[in-house]
Amino acid sequence: MLTVYRHNNLSGYIFLLPLFLFMAGFVLVPVVGTLLNSFYKDVPFLQSEFNGLDNYRSLGGDSSFWQSLRFSLLFVMAAVPLELLLGMVFALVLHKATNSKALLWAAVLIPWAIPSAVSARIWELIYNYNYGLANFVLTKFGLTTEPINWLGGSFSAFWAVTVADVWKTTPFVAIIILAGLQAVPDDFHESAKIDGAGFIRRFFSLTLPLLKPVIVVALLFRTIDSLRVFDVIYVLTGGGPGGATSALSLYGYEYYLIGDFGYASTISVVLFVIAMALSILYVRFSRFERE
Amino acid sequence: MKDSFGQKTLYNLGWIFVLGFCLKPVIFMLVTALGENPEYLAKGTDYSFTLGNFSDVLFTGNLHFMDYLKNSLLVSAVSAVGAVSIASLAAFSIARLRPMGRMMILFIALSVSMFPQISIVGYLFKIFSGLGWINSYIALILPYIAWVLPLSLWILVSYFSQLPDELDQAARLDGCGAFQVYWRVIIPIALPAVLSTMLLVFIFAFNEFMFALILTADHSARTVPVGIALFQGLHGEIPWGNIMAAACITTIPVIILTVLFQRRIVAGLSAGAVKG
Repeated sequence: MLTVYRHNNLSGYIFLLPLFLFMAGFVLVPVVGTLLNSFYKDVPFLQSEFNGLDNYRSLGGDSSFWQSLRFSLLFVMAAVPLELLLGMVFALVLHKATNSKALLWAAVLIPWAIPSAVSARIWELIYNYNYGLANFVLTKFGLTTEPINWLGGSFSAFWAVTVADVWKTTPFVAIIILAGLQAVPDDFHESAKIDGAGFIRRFFSLTLPLLKPVIVVALLFRTIDSLRVFDVIYVLTGGGPGGATSALSLYGYEYYLIGDFGYASTISVVLFVIAMALSILYVRFSRFERE
Repeated sequence: MKDSFGQKTLYNLGWIFVLGFCLKPVIFMLVTALGENPEYLAKGTDYSFTLGNFSDVLFTGNLHFMDYLKNSLLVSAVSAVGAVSIASLAAFSIARLRPMGRMMILFIALSVSMFPQISIVGYLFKIFSGLGWINSYIALILPYIAWVLPLSLWILVSYFSQLPDELDQAARLDGCGAFQVYWRVIIPIALPAVLSTMLLVFIFAFNEFMFALILTADHSARTVPVGIALFQGLHGEIPWGNIMAAACITTIPVIILTVLFQRRIVAGLSAGAVKG
């Protein structure tokens, strides 16, 4: 009966047409447009002129750009491992949960389901100097006598943003890892237990290696996602203090805001190229894992 | 085999940690929204319960919260239906008609989902300005649909592929064309998956920030996340009680949907991510 499919190429493509049109019109064309734009110099709200690679050359001497790039990379390096670690803990607890499963699931999904701009507002209040929860807890337990200006110092602002992002996105990592955990047959664990392997031993020499494929997936998804982080930072710090938390997306956005589309596009292209390189890596990896 | 005492303790601690980590900020939001003044923690003043923040947000016209909510619900719902219609046609093609180059299409879709939004939104702003679409629903709906197509496609392909081949063959022998097989056979059978994909897309569109920030200008099209992010008091101070009340109202429908459909959300997300 395989012949049924043989003549379906044409109708197959017709069914794909709306998808192609949307992706081309609203993703590929804008991406190409942005790329072309990056070769132009915009006089804000007036006309633009072709200036070749000048925008890219300007990046080299633009210390704010390097600061943004550095922040974005540091943010990825801080947030992603934390999310993986916590996501793993969450997944193990959820995997073990039996009668309390529905409650736990709901609790874990809540941070994921709250719009990140809204959750950033919640964290903004938690970090509030005068009446935030963070300072209240620290002073109550006597850990500091003076309240801390969380969003005012570059070091604390970095971690404030990171923690807010980790809170929001750990559930996603947990879901992915849990999917992997549930694919591991129980007998593996039972026989390892009979062989006398303890909890920790079983985790490191049995669970973790079997989870490698899903961990790779979560790692790359989250890496690319935190590289393009925008809303949490826009709301929490607006890139401050003094550009200390200005992620690449935010830095690009600032140039769009003043009407310099050329330079904004250049910054976007840089971010785009880094993300593409990572996604190619991801495709390679996932193919490799499947073999 | 029974778990040891130590393991049980560890598990219970983990349980409490997970609940506390996830819910503490949410409880803080709720408490602030229901409190008379947000300073009660610092100043040691008594906590006094009030619904005033909620009534401000719901009934004070110049805060425009209800406009934002309406815009968000409309834009997200239309995006969800649109995206899943388009993605299910494409997924049907890939999973059931199996045209040449389908793996290529799936990988292209995957890489598209990795594009940073900032590399799209500036150009969209230019085009939409020219068309006079800025600050309209269409300026959000069209990019949202394009934006969530990859995720929808991956989820639906992974689901449609699991259905037995005999379904299509039987329908074909009865004289159904490709579209009839899609509409009369596959969609009804896959309805739970289709609806849960719609729910996921709805949540993604409801969450989206950057497009909504740049492509809208005021309360006639602005969505809730942007509205809450830009919420200002009438006199310049930050009205924390109102903001947290607005956050609660925004969060409640999402939480209800999430709790009701948690199984499907988890299945959808892990299918979208892991099977890719």
